[in-house]
Amino acid sequence: MGGRLQRSSPMRLLLALIGLLFFLWWMIHPSSSSTSRTLNINLPDSAPATPTAALTPPKIAPGVNIISMNNLSATANPLKNSERLLILTPLARFYDEYFENLLNLDYPRNLIDLGFITPKTHAGNLATLKLQDSLRKIQHGPKKSRFNKITILRQDFDTPTGQSEKERHAMKAQKDRRASMARARNSLVFTTLSPTISWVLWLDSDIIETPPSLFQDLAKHNKPVIVPNCFQRYKENGVWKERPYDFNSWQDSETALNLGKTMKEDEILLEGYAEMPTYRALMAYQRDEKADKHVEMLLDGVGGTALLVKAEIHRDGAMFPTFPFYHLIETEGFAKMVRRLGYQPYGLPNYLVYHYNE
Amino acid sequence: MSLPTSRHSHSQYSNGYSNGYTNGHASYYREDSWAMSPQDSKYRPKFRKSAYARRRLFLKLGIIFLVVFGFSLLVSPSLRFSVFSAVGLGYTLYKDIPGVEYHDLSLYQGSANGWQKGERILFLSPLRDAEAHLPMFFSHLRNLTYPHHLIDLAFLVSDSKDNTMGLLNELLKKQQSDADHNQWFGEITVIEKDFGAAIGQDFSNRHGFAAQGPRRKLMARARNWLLNATLKPHHSWVYWRDADVETAPTSILEDLMRHNKDVIVPNVWRPLPDWLGNEQPYDLNSWQESETGLELAAKLGEDDVIVEGYAEYATWRPHLAYLRDPRGDPDVEMELDGVGGVSILAKALVFRAGAHFPAFSFEKHAETEGFGKMCRRMKFTVIGLPHYTIWHLYEPSLDDLKHMKEMEEQRLAHEKEEKEKAEQKTRLEEGWDIKKDKDTWDKDQKEIINAALKAKEVEKGAMPVRGAEKDTSGKTPNQDLRGSREGPIAHVDEPGVGLLTTEDEEKHGQVVGHENGRVKQNKLPVEPVKKEAQFA
Repeated sequence: MGGRLQRSSPMRLLLALIGLLFFLWWMIHPSSSSTSRTLNINLPDSAPATPTAALTPPKIAPGVNIISMNNLSATANPLKNSERLLILTPLARFYDEYFENLLNLDYPRNLIDLGFITPKTHAGNLATLKLQDSLRKIQHGPKKSRFNKITILRQDFDTPTGQSEKERHAMKAQKDRRASMARARNSLVFTTLSPTISWVLWLDSDIIETPPSLFQDLAKHNKPVIVPNCFQRYKENGVWKERPYDFNSWQDSETALNLGKTMKEDEILLEGYAEMPTYRALMAYQRDEKADKHVEMLLDGVGGTALLVKAEIHRDGAMFPTFPFYHLIETEGFAKMVRRLGYQPYGLPNYLVYHYNE
Repeated sequence: MSLPTSRHSHSQYSNGYSNGYTNGHASYYREDSWAMSPQDSKYRPKFRKSAYARRRLFLKLGIIFLVVFGFSLLVSPSLRFSVFSAVGLGYTLYKDIPGVEYHDLSLYQGSANGWQKGERILFLSPLRDAEAHLPMFFSHLRNLTYPHHLIDLAFLVSDSKDNTMGLLNELLKKQQSDADHNQWFGEITVIEKDFGAAIGQDFSNRHGFAAQGPRRKLMARARNWLLNATLKPHHSWVYWRDADVETAPTSILEDLMRHNKDVIVPNVWRPLPDWLGNEQPYDLNSWQESETGLELAAKLGEDDVIVEGYAEYATWRPHLAYLRDPRGDPDVEMELDGVGGVSILAKALVFRAGAHFPAFSFEKHAETEGFGKMCRRMKFTVIGLPHYTIWHLYEPSLDDLKHMKEMEEQRLAHEKEEKEKAEQKTRLEEGWDIKKDKDTWDKDQKEIINAALKAKEVEKGAMPVRGAEKDTSGKTPNQDLRGSREGPIAHVDEPGVGLLTTEDEEKHGQVVGHENGRVKQNKLPVEPVKKEAQFA
């Protein structure tokens, strides 16, 4: 044996020692391994973030928070009542234009909460990091320009397919993709909707241009759910033009309803596919440039690119179905659920927001 | 021996042991060994060297990789973020930004032993006119064995006419200032919101058939408001519990969690007075869907709501409640389609995904039953435990109350009858009391003798004694009936109570009593009787 030891180089001994130390460390801190992880959050801001912080009771008893929601209002003039707004964005990619536009909104930032949810992908990680940098600048700035609260979530489920333009609109992939999107939206709204919020504004991460008074303009209509028309700017022969982008805001048609009746329970109706003509009245095509911006129309389906919802509608349970709900899914299913709950969604065909052009 | 050179292990074997072994044994093994050949030993030195070199190479590569990896961690925030979020430390990257909260929802999935991992539960209770139940409810809270600081409490007080709010505050404050730190709960939120409920909360109102549809839609709204206002990203579990549960295991959270299901409910029964059979299934909202149920649903209008447990809608569904065996294994599971709301443990991810309590007719169901249906639709597991039972408070219905009143009257009537019988019996016995008869006889005898003596005296011409027929005290017995300093003599019907002796009467050996409402008077001098007794 003496010979063996002699031949074991100091390097090998060192390695063995390191291995042993690692094993001991692993034994003592089983929580650090990803399979059995102890949560390291305790009550916010109350305990140091040690790996097992959650297991020790706090030193000071948490108090009782009493909130009356009877006087919570969501009115046509939100600024007058200091009504709080929650802006929610499922963040698949981070566009600087989106964030600039967000900063341009002229509603006081101390009344605005932000909520983001990112997919569990590399693109999602990148987006979070860019967001982090942007937020760091804002939140370290003067108090007046800071947002009240920002919540960033990372999805706990996988996103089905890639997010390239072509893949995204392949009809087959639509159902899975939109179900996953719906789940992300639900995860976001139901964990960030605190009791003092009056309005929820859904703003997709690829909406890069809106009027600065977007929220006030939409709120002025005092509707439970209201959606502007989403267009896209594009360059043709060196000239900037615009075209309709979001086809999910529509009024139902007999054809679509009958089509729905012949479908199996778990099939969905989709808009904008030649294989499935629905003859619905699409808001995207109802735009009249010369007419008043504030013309309203009743809607049966809504798109989620920009969407203002009174918080009480979400609180009553209106969510984005992740399953075919009356053959509708995500935001279109949301509109259906809103109607089942006894509210009516509206659209503004002449009020435009602009989508990023890929 | 798990070094990278394991490929050459046999040669190492030969190297390692050739020195130590004597020729005989070693050669025997060598000859048998399939891998050994003279060539091995021939090239041994070369082999050793190359193995060693290889090892060093691997080591170098490993060190280089670690250095590069560590460096890239420092340089690339993206990689750092990926690695950090993979080990659950993503939030540390946001710590320096004020007002920002970062949560990786993968950390809050909920697991079978959440109490060991610090998983937070959101404990939700909708309350309406629940003042009477609160003390009992808080005793249940205090007894929970799940670490209290991991339980966030949230209450919704709606449309209450009693002092639910006041008492709730008082009890919560008391709870959070308990001397025992382990009694403190996590974040506590009380939300006040009135929905303008038109339907009363007492049992018969609540459970009448016609009231069920609108009532349950309203309850659903209340539940959703409570949930949406208080669910935070860092909750792993959500537990719904009604305030009027009378008996439940203190480890109910762990017991349900252990099953690691998306949605799980225990069986809910209620104790009954013995004239109703001692116990009864209470929560009929936990069931499995049946063919009849689906057929019925297909026939109904879009806004109709099927409510379980009413003759109007016979669905023939297997109910969790009726499958209970008191001696059954409490871990037995049963798949459900509709659930009751008395006690639901669900993973927070279920609610994050969008499942809620439909305040509209969802597949012909609302509230908790609709919730069960929706969860099934969203492919979550919905489980009931038929043999794990908690007990709901027994609140008598109007019929029960009527019946109980009748029973009380019957009981009183019966008691009265019994008493009368007993009295009659004692009276009868008293009537045949021989000693008393004898006393009376003696008294009579004495009086007769006295009378005879007096008569003789009268005959002798002596003057009659005035006042001989008069009572010894100047009082009339009727006055005593009105009561005295010691209290009124009003206990007419109670045996043994109506006997009252005033000092005066005692002195004179006179006892005034009354029996059965009538006054009985014994004017019997005590001492003379004793003397007379000697004669007898």
